[in-house]
Amino acid sequence: MKVFISAGRRRLALNAAAAVMAGSMLAACGGGASSQNNGVAAADPAAGKDATGSINICGGKDASGIYKGTAEAFTKAHGKVMAKYTEIGATTDEARTQAVQRLEGKSDECDIFLTDVIWTSEFASQGWLVDQSKLVEANKDHLIPSTVETTKYEDKYWASPFFTNAGLIYYQKDKVAKPETWQQLYAEAAKAPGNSFVYQGKQYEGLTVNFLEMLYSAGGEVLDSNGEVKIDSPQTREVLDFMVKGLKDGSADRAVLTYNEDPARLAYESGNDGYQRNWPHVYRLLNETKLKGTFGVAPLPTWEGGKASGVLGGWNLAISAHSKNQAGAVAFIDFATTPEWQKHVAMDFSQAPVNEAAYSDAAVVAKMPFAKELLASVKGAKPRPISPVYPQISQAIYKNVYAVLSGTASTEDAVKSMAEEITAAKKSF
Amino acid sequence: MSIKSLSPGRGVSTRDRAERRLAVRMTAPSLILMALVAAVPIGYAVWLSLNQYSVRTAGLSRFVGLENYTTALASPDWWAAFGQTFLFAGLSVSLELVLGTAMALLLNLAFKGRALLRTVVLLPYAIITVVSAITWQTMFQPNLGLVTNVLSALGLPGGDVVWLGEHGYAMAVIVLADVWKTTPFAALIILAGLQVIPAETYEAAELDGAGKWQTFLHITLPLLRPAIVLAAIFRTMDALRVFDLPFVLTRGANGTESMSMLAYTQLRENRLVGEGSALSILTFLTVMVVSVIYIRFAGGNIRDVAKEEQ
Repeated sequence: MKVFISAGRRRLALNAAAAVMAGSMLAACGGGASSQNNGVAAADPAAGKDATGSINICGGKDASGIYKGTAEAFTKAHGKVMAKYTEIGATTDEARTQAVQRLEGKSDECDIFLTDVIWTSEFASQGWLVDQSKLVEANKDHLIPSTVETTKYEDKYWASPFFTNAGLIYYQKDKVAKPETWQQLYAEAAKAPGNSFVYQGKQYEGLTVNFLEMLYSAGGEVLDSNGEVKIDSPQTREVLDFMVKGLKDGSADRAVLTYNEDPARLAYESGNDGYQRNWPHVYRLLNETKLKGTFGVAPLPTWEGGKASGVLGGWNLAISAHSKNQAGAVAFIDFATTPEWQKHVAMDFSQAPVNEAAYSDAAVVAKMPFAKELLASVKGAKPRPISPVYPQISQAIYKNVYAVLSGTASTEDAVKSMAEEITAAKKSF
Repeated sequence: MSIKSLSPGRGVSTRDRAERRLAVRMTAPSLILMALVAAVPIGYAVWLSLNQYSVRTAGLSRFVGLENYTTALASPDWWAAFGQTFLFAGLSVSLELVLGTAMALLLNLAFKGRALLRTVVLLPYAIITVVSAITWQTMFQPNLGLVTNVLSALGLPGGDVVWLGEHGYAMAVIVLADVWKTTPFAALIILAGLQVIPAETYEAAELDGAGKWQTFLHITLPLLRPAIVLAAIFRTMDALRVFDLPFVLTRGANGTESMSMLAYTQLRENRLVGEGSALSILTFLTVMVVSVIYIRFAGGNIRDVAKEEQ
């Protein structure tokens, strides 16, 4: 991708032309560069109390029923604001496209957008969202800090976490031991073909997640806190070599190169594997198969000599800058993030709460026996690189990691081009 | 044009001129409509491709001239996608034409239930590509897939191959999925060509004692060439724009990224509107150039056939 990102060397004449173009473009859009963040109102935490009218929440397919369920419960509880849920896309990608179109078009159809944790900086940088800093500060004491981090961009909070997500390891108790370290997991997996480890190794966003889970626990990072590119590190090389070795010695079947979440789960369900890395929703599905009662759930292992870590998934609630009922939106967010409702998030919809106390609630544990492991994974997890050009950064990661895993690039070359491509992406205009 | 040919001499009469004005007035709305439908979007895409639009700051853009094109053309990603798209198009279209011709010949035979069969063979073409791609993906899944299991059970090679995890195999699956889906389309066009070949030519050949193979080689095939070329044009243009099959089957992994996928990634995923538009225009130009070459070749071909017929 690197070559498409302009180095930005321009002659004087072009500069002048660009300035004129930019000027007219700005005028046409009635906003933009200089006013982008200042022009957007900040959400007032107190506003929710007196809110009236109706609000519309927009997002992807409501598979677990959590979006509609929360909207209904809120409408009942609040009394004066009516919330409804509108599905704007069947898949995550589609929902993003639809959200972007509405936001670019300054549509006031949606008051709240369900945003994937990786969209925050992109949406915030475009001036599409209402600054929720005050609201988040007010609610922070009952939110898990790692989930709040996913809503941060340039020292402000642009959304509130709704429910989170973190990777887990499912393992066959009769064949393999509960994994403590990645090294132990891989060694155990290599012992017999029936012990092998399945994960998401297809060339897509999921591979970025699978790779970063290991990289983070090995102490590596993509960008540091100043946004400097740090991917060219011994840790990156170590993790890549480790993954390649795993494919060679049979810890993981080469088939993982074609797996995203569902194929990985289906392969594991056939009973020919020992370990699976997947999301919490797989627990319920596995219980509907012949593997019921034979598998255990563990938080992501630590790196030998390192720590446990992971990558956060999940969905946030962002208020559209074009919403006509921001007070109603604030009221909804307040409701959705209360410790009380967060228990329902787990009990009624099997999603991972953003409130820590919910994980030890007896009713939640009854529904989600792996709540403790999940909390460990969530608390240890970190956001993916925070940048408005995140999609390009992720492509640089998954394409190069895939090249190494599939044997078409050496670790050294892949690390170099990852660093180059991410650096170039960060320079995009 | 026909109005002009009606006029008897060089001198243009008043009536003629009035008629011509009328013609202009009457065709103007459709010409304008066509311009709006075809030219405006293309023109807009060209304009977009000459600019860069900020992914950091809303509404900010700058004019960069041909820079998006020069970066694309200097990019190994573009040339890799270019080469792979042509490889895919070459393989899939040739297979479709050979199999399509065979299928058309079979469907042209007189037998009971022919009308029904003609409808049934079109079924793959009626299935949405994404759906068929997902089906193929499932069939070629390692360990669980139908194809891999059958190959293993029969002790044939390929059972333990991760089909979508390696370049050659992945490309084979993509080509196969395309051939399965669009061969019926090629067959239908070629069948239409078969049906206009006069029965007398075959009777004459039979009288002259030509065998089945000779008849096919010297009568059917030459007379079928215009239809085959037509099918080839349609299929090649489609194949060069391929998107859904590699997108679903491999997401462009293992060197199967097509030109359209590259443009999609830049436009949609990365919101690099200028860069993505330049890639779209380059894809469009590639397809245009190939079709022009084809049409020239096909035009000559059709004239040849006409001469042969005389």
